[in-house]
This record gives sequence, structure tokens and C-alpha cells, in this order.
Amino acid sequence: MNRVLTLAAYNIKLLLSERNWFFLIWALFALQITIFGSLMSRLVSGKVEDYLFFYSIGLMVITVFDSGASVGRNFVEHAHEGELPYYLSLPISRRGFLAAQALYGVADTMLKTLPPLLGILFFMGRLTVLGAFFAVLALLLLGLGISGIMISMSFIAFKSVDIYSAFIAGLSALLVRFSTVFYPLIFMPNFYSPISLLSPLTYGADLARWFLGFDPQLLLNPILAAAVVTAVAVGTLSLSARIVDRIIEGVKVG
Amino acid sequence: MHAVETLNLSKKYGKTDALRGLNFEVEEGEIMVILGPNGSGKTTLLMILCTILKPTSGIAKVVGIDVAKEGTKVREVMGIAFQEARGFWRHKPSSILRFHASMFDIDPTKRQDLIDQTMKDLELWESRDKLFMHLSGGQAKRLETAKVLVQRPKLAIFDEPTSQVDLRGKRKIWDKIKELRNQGSTIIVATNEVREAEYLADRVTILHQGQRVVCDTIPHLKDAIAGGDVVEVDFEDPVSARLSEELKSLGGSVALSPQGNQMRAMVSRAEDWVPKMTSASYNQGAKISSIKITEPSLDDVFMQFTGTTLEDKP
Repeated sequence: MNRVLTLAAYNIKLLLSERNWFFLIWALFALQITIFGSLMSRLVSGKVEDYLFFYSIGLMVITVFDSGASVGRNFVEHAHEGELPYYLSLPISRRGFLAAQALYGVADTMLKTLPPLLGILFFMGRLTVLGAFFAVLALLLLGLGISGIMISMSFIAFKSVDIYSAFIAGLSALLVRFSTVFYPLIFMPNFYSPISLLSPLTYGADLARWFLGFDPQLLLNPILAAAVVTAVAVGTLSLSARIVDRIIEGVKVG
Repeated sequence: MHAVETLNLSKKYGKTDALRGLNFEVEEGEIMVILGPNGSGKTTLLMILCTILKPTSGIAKVVGIDVAKEGTKVREVMGIAFQEARGFWRHKPSSILRFHASMFDIDPTKRQDLIDQTMKDLELWESRDKLFMHLSGGQAKRLETAKVLVQRPKLAIFDEPTSQVDLRGKRKIWDKIKELRNQGSTIIVATNEVREAEYLADRVTILHQGQRVVCDTIPHLKDAIAGGDVVEVDFEDPVSARLSEELKSLGGSVALSPQGNQMRAMVSRAEDWVPKMTSASYNQGAKISSIKITEPSLDDVFMQFTGTTLEDKP
């Protein structure tokens, strides 16, 4: 366990050296909320009460999604920049290696989302310790699930990085668009809502909103959402552990 | 118990056989050099031993532990300096070594001294706070070696440890590898550099097209090839076909350069063969400009056992 933490800390240390990148992400987040969020909020006013808050949490979910996806990309980059063979030669199990990657993902997600989330909750007068704690927990579970999906897909990159990049771009577009990050499920057309129920982002977004006190009439059942988010995290991380253990090799040489 | 043992070890990449039923042993406390050209399967063997690659079939054991079944245990006792020193672009050498030492539980009270000393020994001290991406190829390669030296594993593996390193640096790395062996580590060095093999090896395994061709000490390998001496003769002009035939009939293994004015012969006793050769040349009117008598090199040994040179492609 100590070695898993050491490995995670080593990568997180590198993450912390990218302070400017985090400031940029937070600034973009603020810009998106103040311009697009407030404009869209006016457009839909009357139909969804406090749409700006709904939108803000949706944007947060997208940030979590990006962060989870970056863990998968990071994993693939390790392989192609030659770090993966080194990591695979270290005295930790493959599952331990994956756990270290997941911890790195958690740290990345926290750094990207926690300050803006607390900021939004504070400015919108919805900051409660319990609400924020459980919302962050829901977002982290979602982030782990996304990381698991992306790492599971990384075996494609060992055949072709181009195919992996195209596949992930397509998958990301579908998971984000067909979800409730920006529109409540009950306002979606009939052809749209069943597809949105396939996206883990739908469950993560609605669960986080429920914990933060958004109108439950516009959200999925929180027990169902919590169950799905947990199942996705556990399922995809187990799958990625199996893939790292059984399929992925560090290098191919003659 | 052998420090390393493989039995019928095979590795395929698609339809390509990188290793073909390899049987290989390394004894505890020795420096085993694996000699072979690029593509002979050296790196694949090392990657399997350090559990990064999985064998297609066969068994590989490190200090009696099966690499396919108990990978984590194997990684506890071995360290590898990779052929390509890549990655960690934004870390510094000192931080890379600290991380490596902590992963292998090097005593925290001695860790920093050990790291500092190793960096000084390998002339990395001045670069300790540079980012990895700003190191030269030779410095990155020395850092790769430094990781294993700091770790002091039971089994240390070096994959072409001195490629990209200047001559002075090579000697330093070789001496440190020998020092590591003297401290009790078993060492495997994969190389295609004859000088490196001759400097380091207790025994040499020649690998060719994924198979072990021969394994022995360097003196035994040299004794095993046809003839004990190498005679290199330069003629002023290309020799005639008749003289060439006559020289070949004198015994030993004789090869003429493509230009026809240089000859290399591996013979049993140079002192018997040279007078016959000079006499035959004189009778045919061929003028000799120089004669050099040496021992066979490992390149000659490699040539004898595989029919190709280390520079040739497999």
C-alpha cells in the first residue's frame, strides 16, 4: 500500500507543478458560467427554475468527465513515451499500479472541480457541508467510472493510437451530448431520453444535483443514480484492472 | 538454484518469433553478457525476466520465482536499466532517483547519501536539478544506470548500458557494474558491443535469431573456434585467383576482402602458417605490405558460431 501511495504521490507532484493550467481551467469555467450559463438561463427561464445552477453543475460534470478521460490519455501517453515499461517493472502489483493511477485521477479531479464547485455553491447561497461533501463524492465516483472506461479502452491504443483517439473523441461526444448535463430528462424528446439513460453522466449529474438540493421533480431517483454511478465505477475499474493484468504489456521489441 | 533460468522460452509477436525455445541459465554472483545483434531477442528476453512482457510459452524463473506466476515477487528482487532512457520529461534526476529508491525501500537514513554518491560517480551531479527532458542522451542513459546502482538489487539487468555514452563514461559505467557484482548482485548485460562484453563478462551467451547459440567463458569461446590465431595480411596488389586457392589450401579459415588485397585467416598456429604463406606469396610474385597476428575477438567467435557478424541484420 505504501508503494501505491508513493507512486501516486510521484505523479500528483507533477500535477501540482502545473498550477497555471489549473488557474486556466478555473478561469474558463467562470467565463463559461458568466457568459453562456447566464444567457442560456434567460432563454429557459420559466421552464426550469434556477437553470444557472443546473447548468453550473452540468459544467462541473463535464469537467469531471474531462479529468477522468485525461487519466486514460495519461495511461496511453505513459505507454508511448516509454514510462509504462518502467512503471510495470516496479515492485507493485498491476492492481496496485492501477490504484495509483486512480488516485492520481482523484487528485486531478479534485483540483479541477473542488475550487469552482465551492465557489458556485458559495455565490449561489447553496453551500452546506453535507451537500458539498456528498456532491463531491458523487462526482469522484463518476470520475473513477470514466477513468475506468478510458483505461479499459486503452488497449485499442496498443494497436493504433489514431483509432483510439478517434474512438474516444466519438465516445466522449456521445456520452456528453446524450446525457442530462445541460437538459433535464423530463424535457427531452422521446427519442432522446432513452439514449441519455445509457450515459453514466446522466446519473452522476442528477445525483450531484440531488445532493445539492435541486428540485427532485426534474431529476432521476437518487437511489437509482447512486447505484448506477457506483456500479459503473466498480465495474469499469475491475475491467481495467483485468485488462492491465492480462492484456497490456509494456513494450514490443525484437 | 540458478539466479536466472529459462526453459523452452518462446515469445511471438504476431507471426514473428522473437524467442524460440530458449534455454538459458545465469549463476548467482556472475556477470552474464548476452551478445547478439539488434533483433536477436536480447531485449525481449530481458523484458520477460523483469515481467514486462509475458512469454508465449515456456518457463522463466528469477531466483527460483516464476516470472509469469509471481511477477510482483520477481520485481522485488530485480532492477533494470532500460535500453531507451525515456519518460519522466518534467522530473529532475535527483527526484527520479529518490522516487526509485523509495519504491525499493532503500533505507531512508542512507538514501540521500547513496543517491548523491551515485550521481557524483556517474558525473550527473552537475545535472541533478535539470529537467529530464534537458539531459543529453548520454546523461539520460547514465541516469538509467544510476537507478539500478542506487537500488542494488539481487538481479541487476542492463540493456545496452553504454550506448550513446562517451568512452570515458563507458569505462565508469562498466566499473560500477563490476562493483555492483562485487557487492553481491547477479548481473545480466545485453549488448552488441564486443569491447563491453570482453570488459565485463564472466560468461557470454550468444543469442541469434531468438535462440542460444553458445554459452561459455570468453577464453573457452575463443579456444572453441577453428584455429587459435588470427593473421591479417595486407598485399600491395590484389592477389591472383591461383594464389588465393593456394593460400586456402594451407589450412585454417581464410577470407579475402572484396578488393582482393587484404586477407584474414584464422589458423591453429600462426608461427607455422605464416612462413608457408609468405613463401607461397613470394613464389607467385605477390608483395606483402604488412602482417598482423592477433587473438580472435568475440566478433570472430560470433562469426564462427552464427555465420554473420554483430553488425549484420539477423
